[in-house]
Amino acid sequence: MTDEEDRRKIKDERRHPSEKDETAMPRRAHDSGRVRKAIRTELEEVAEAGADTQAESGPKPGRKPQNTVISLENISLSFEEQILDNISFKAYEGETIVVVGESGTGKSTILKLLLRLLVPDNGRVAIDGEDITHLTFDDALKVRQKMGMVFQGAALFDSMTVYENVAYPLREHTTLNEDEIEARVREKLQFVDLEPDRVMDQMPSELSGGMKKRVGIARGLANNPEIMLYDEPTSGLDPLTTATITYLILKLQRELGVTSIVVSHDIRSAFRMASKIALLANKRIEFFGTPEEMTGSEDSYIREFLGGF
Amino acid sequence: MPLTSGTRSVAVPYQLEINAILTRRETGHPLPQQHVSRYALVTPHAHQLILETFNDAAKRSVYSLQEYFALAGKAVGFIFVKPFYTADLFQQMDQIGVGSLGIVLLTGFFTGMVLALQSSVQLQALGQTALIGKLIAGSMVRELGPVLAGLMVAGRVGSGIAAQLGSMRVTEQIDALNTLGTDPIKKLVTPRVLASLIMLPVLTIINDFVGILGGNIIAKFYLGLPSSLYWRTVFEQVLSGGFTLRYIPNDFIQGLVKPFVFGGIISTVACYHGLKTSGGTEGVGIATTRTVVTASILILVVDYFLTQVLLALFTP
Repeated sequence: MTDEEDRRKIKDERRHPSEKDETAMPRRAHDSGRVRKAIRTELEEVAEAGADTQAESGPKPGRKPQNTVISLENISLSFEEQILDNISFKAYEGETIVVVGESGTGKSTILKLLLRLLVPDNGRVAIDGEDITHLTFDDALKVRQKMGMVFQGAALFDSMTVYENVAYPLREHTTLNEDEIEARVREKLQFVDLEPDRVMDQMPSELSGGMKKRVGIARGLANNPEIMLYDEPTSGLDPLTTATITYLILKLQRELGVTSIVVSHDIRSAFRMASKIALLANKRIEFFGTPEEMTGSEDSYIREFLGGF
Repeated sequence: MPLTSGTRSVAVPYQLEINAILTRRETGHPLPQQHVSRYALVTPHAHQLILETFNDAAKRSVYSLQEYFALAGKAVGFIFVKPFYTADLFQQMDQIGVGSLGIVLLTGFFTGMVLALQSSVQLQALGQTALIGKLIAGSMVRELGPVLAGLMVAGRVGSGIAAQLGSMRVTEQIDALNTLGTDPIKKLVTPRVLASLIMLPVLTIINDFVGILGGNIIAKFYLGLPSSLYWRTVFEQVLSGGFTLRYIPNDFIQGLVKPFVFGGIISTVACYHGLKTSGGTEGVGIATTRTVVTASILILVVDYFLTQVLLALFTP
């Protein structure tokens, strides 16, 4: 039951004093009927998260305005039919923006635009102020190195071990020697709460869904990117693993200060980790603001989307 | 080069995916505006509808062809551009070449034997059994060796490549490569194409040899022809086609240009269909089938035209 050990360990870490400072509410230490409690704990945390992220990334008086890391300006894109219509938003340094919306509304397309796997019909995508819409293929490859992407199904390379997977971006783009690469791989695997010695030689097919996601995050992190992109990081996972992954994304934001764009339809974990939420509907961004603003909204679609939440 | 820019074009579902790797999106040209509601705007006559359908189908196939050649061109171009994925190349050479050795040996051997068996009936009727070596060497080296090796490799390797790249596409591993700053064509397609270009001629030589050997066995045990006579007629045949650059027998050139071309066809067709895969596991199956069918047909058709050209160029 290695996964359970992991989860327990992570749960313990979550009760670490430094965490307790941030989250005022006490948590139950013993758990019988763990799953239900995990969900409840998570719900409690969601309530706190709004306050948390607000305190961290909301506009603070007296603080310098932050750098814009990602900006999408008036993006339109159509294939057989229009997918995105005049979409604009910005992400400041260290922010986590969660893009929510119904399935098939083009959420993942936004990530592909940021990675320049797609080019918009109209509008401009800028990373660190650099317009990436008209780059050549090679220059686009360079821009992508600033970003770490976590795919829905983790997208680990089947033919490589966990170690080779995490080491891949290092081998491709750095001149690190083998010792340095191994040190970096171990560091990243530890960061995502995996035991390097146990998983390094395993093949992706031997891992559980949650572990795959974590290796995926470790691979995304390997090159120390300034931007992390997540495509449905919690889809298809059980509530406990979902909590673990959500916690990891939060940890990344807090400890490394990376700017993140998360595409998700898991509204609960979205509220937990978001600095701002973008609601995509009818090819447009119908709402963009903090989780609190969203819950306070009177708009009927937003109310409906939030449902019983 | 975009096929159409500014004008209307057909809507191809996988355009979204393949374009990221291939030509158009990378050059930053906006995609031509689509025309979804075309049929709704006018109520055309039946013949107009039929024409439209043909028009769309034609455009779609021309567009696919353009994509295919763009991919093939890029893959071959990257052979000469750093970084070289040497480890991948050797792995592919092992899989394509060494991996196919078994079936190539088997098919070559039995084809040679059956060829000898069938022709011995005719030759016995004519009293010309001594010519059997000539007949088998001629057909194996020039024709059957390359084509059989090509067809077998198309079935075994082509389907494998298409399935592998297809599932990599479906599980977003191709996107992951792109995201990690690697050109998937360079990393995945180029080593496979190069390995096929190198290994198919090698497999063909083995196939030829084993086929002639199979003929030898039938000639010896069925017709009672001494092996020395058999092999002498084999060499006579191979050398009778004349020489290029004084020392290279024309038959060898014919027999090795073909597998080289077939290797290119198999690997590029497989990679193209693999990368173009869409629609989950079902899509992988479709891509695999398409690869084997397309590659096999192309091998047979190209073989005909190649033979005509080679015969015209290398007739003594």
